[in-house]
Amino acid sequence: MNTIPIDMDLTEKLTILSDAAKYDVACTSSGVDRKGNGRGIGNSIAPGVCHTFSADGRCISLLKILFTNECIFNCAYCLNNRDSDVRRASFTPDEICTITLEFYRRNYIEGLFLSSGIMVSPNYTMELIYQTLHRLRTIHHFNGYIHVKALPGADPELVERTGFLADRMSINLELPTADSLHKLAPCKSRNTILKPMRQIQNRITDNKQELTVYRKAPRFVPAGQSTQMIIGATPENDFQIMSVAEGLYEKFSLKRVFYSAFVNVNGNSMLPALPGGPPLLREHRLYQADWLLRYYHFKVSELLSEERPDFNIFLDPKCDWALRHLEYFPVEVNRASYQTLLRVPGIGYKSAERIVKARKKTCLSFDDLKKIGVVLKRALYFITCSGKMMYNTKLEENYICENLMRDKTQIPKDIREGGYQQISFFDRELQSEFQLTDAEILT
Amino acid sequence: MYIFLCKDSIDGIFTGVYDAWASRYGHQNIALTTHTPDNYSLFDEYISVPCDYDKSAKVARTLYNRMGDETYQEIYQAASALETCHSRKSIDKADAIYKTIVLALSLPDASKVLHYLGNPYINRAFQLSLCTGNEAHHLLGFLRFQELENGILFAQIHPKNDVLPFLGEHFSDRLPEENFMIHDATRNLAVLHPQGKRFFITDTKELNHEMLQRLSPQEMEYRRLWRTFFDNIAIEARINPALQNQNLPKRFRQDITEFQ
Ligand code: SF4
Repeated sequence: MNTIPIDMDLTEKLTILSDAAKYDVACTSSGVDRKGNGRGIGNSIAPGVCHTFSADGRCISLLKILFTNECIFNCAYCLNNRDSDVRRASFTPDEICTITLEFYRRNYIEGLFLSSGIMVSPNYTMELIYQTLHRLRTIHHFNGYIHVKALPGADPELVERTGFLADRMSINLELPTADSLHKLAPCKSRNTILKPMRQIQNRITDNKQELTVYRKAPRFVPAGQSTQMIIGATPENDFQIMSVAEGLYEKFSLKRVFYSAFVNVNGNSMLPALPGGPPLLREHRLYQADWLLRYYHFKVSELLSEERPDFNIFLDPKCDWALRHLEYFPVEVNRASYQTLLRVPGIGYKSAERIVKARKKTCLSFDDLKKIGVVLKRALYFITCSGKMMYNTKLEENYICENLMRDKTQIPKDIREGGYQQISFFDRELQSEFQLTDAEILT
Repeated sequence: MYIFLCKDSIDGIFTGVYDAWASRYGHQNIALTTHTPDNYSLFDEYISVPCDYDKSAKVARTLYNRMGDETYQEIYQAASALETCHSRKSIDKADAIYKTIVLALSLPDASKVLHYLGNPYINRAFQLSLCTGNEAHHLLGFLRFQELENGILFAQIHPKNDVLPFLGEHFSDRLPEENFMIHDATRNLAVLHPQGKRFFITDTKELNHEMLQRLSPQEMEYRRLWRTFFDNIAIEARINPALQNQNLPKRFRQDITEFQ
């Protein structure tokens, strides 16, 4: 392992430690509304704020860095693992404070996202992370957003102390099943990941109690907990992945699950080469399905099954579901319940809300729906306004499917134009019979 | 028709609303506009409305009390929107706001007025409010401060809609201990926030441009660091200019450090 040059300058450190942090996909600053306190610096607004977009088109909201890219672990998919020959660097807590504050004042960022490799031991590194947050919050009175990683294997007491300084905490699940984790990240285990996840969940629940009794009680991870899974490095199918996500939402009360299309950074022979590039369209479908779980009251079992374990890559999951459930349609927009409206392709949850409000005042026409924000070119096959369809369309699977497929937006423009290749054989090959081994852990 | 010609600003439009209401010509005989027509119609009478802050404040107070904070904010945002937000064929901004207010005050619960999205005037007001709201939200993130030699944080923006009041609120809450200035170069107006005090909006005809050129000694250092971060955080295997352009409209870039 290379030794750290003591006097490495800040630009060099930032280069190494932002480069090493970029595969963590979460960069949102959402989930907490906090006014400024009239002194110090910083506040936070619940919807989150994007400050810029990097060359890959992703939102940059937080200063996303590692504390160090030194690591004693050997996760196969990670460029910082102990066997990699990469340049190493570590910040000091003060350096991170300075960059965070100076970036924040200039409105480059909404806050800090601090993750880390594991230097010396999980506790040793977690303590440094704690020190950094402590300085930011108490010495510099920084009141902006902080997302921090809990390191697998760190002492629960340290995790708890850190959580009282952070807005969001996350521990990456890394891979959808314990089997894959065991193969690719032998230093981690489902246990060292799920235990702290449970701990944080319980602490959040207790904290809500404390806050009802004593409004000024210190807040523990007010923006909740999130996690991330790498997609396409291992053979799990979409059904397995979404079932795990559903379990995490229901049993661990996670705020968000992130999906990260696998990028082969180190040519490790245990991992797929993915000549077609990272599986971006698959990742996109998983995010769409994730929305359906969180905002549209869908269950994974309605979208996928053992017999049909993967999403249709040509259609978004909601259109796909609707096509297989034509018995629910057409829906009369002026009468259908909010829940029913949510299931119509082309009607988003905001449009559904607006429809419910607006139809109390007038009987809605197709023109009104358009103004409200309904995507009619999708919805028109599935709805009536005052008993009439928009055009003389047939309620027939093949017919609608053909028409929907003609709509290019089924595959987002940037993926279409980014030279997306259909799921490579390699992906398909990998998705052999892989059993959902993790069900017990999540129940 | 009696057409009330008002100044294109919150106070201008609210004064127009006050005068139109007080005129008692009957709401159906009244229209409001903010632009002088190209050809005057013989059948219309034009009444030009001088901006009056007392009248405007009265309208604002009434609306706030009757509609509640949330709906009032929407109306305020709609009035702050650029008139040509949509095609020229669409309903006049000032008229949309006037008709929305008339309807609101006729309802038992004025806060529900925006539910009438089927009504073209309400719909227009709602769309205008969205325009301002979206742009203001974008700028909460896209705005960049630079530190001047005298320690002031200075930002320049070129917004379509009049978003300064929203930005002033947000950044005063966020940076209470800073002296900062946000310059709307399209309108020649600026938010000024003196450390520890409330912000105010002022015009910038006398702005000292030479002062703006003198940066603090560390300013370039932090810009460089930021560039370093910005360039490094992108994943090479996912480089996607189409997505970047879609998410960060080109018109904002002239004022964003990392794109200069
Ligand atoms: S713990 Fe694993 S994923 Fe994290 S830095 Fe170390 S090797 Fe990489």
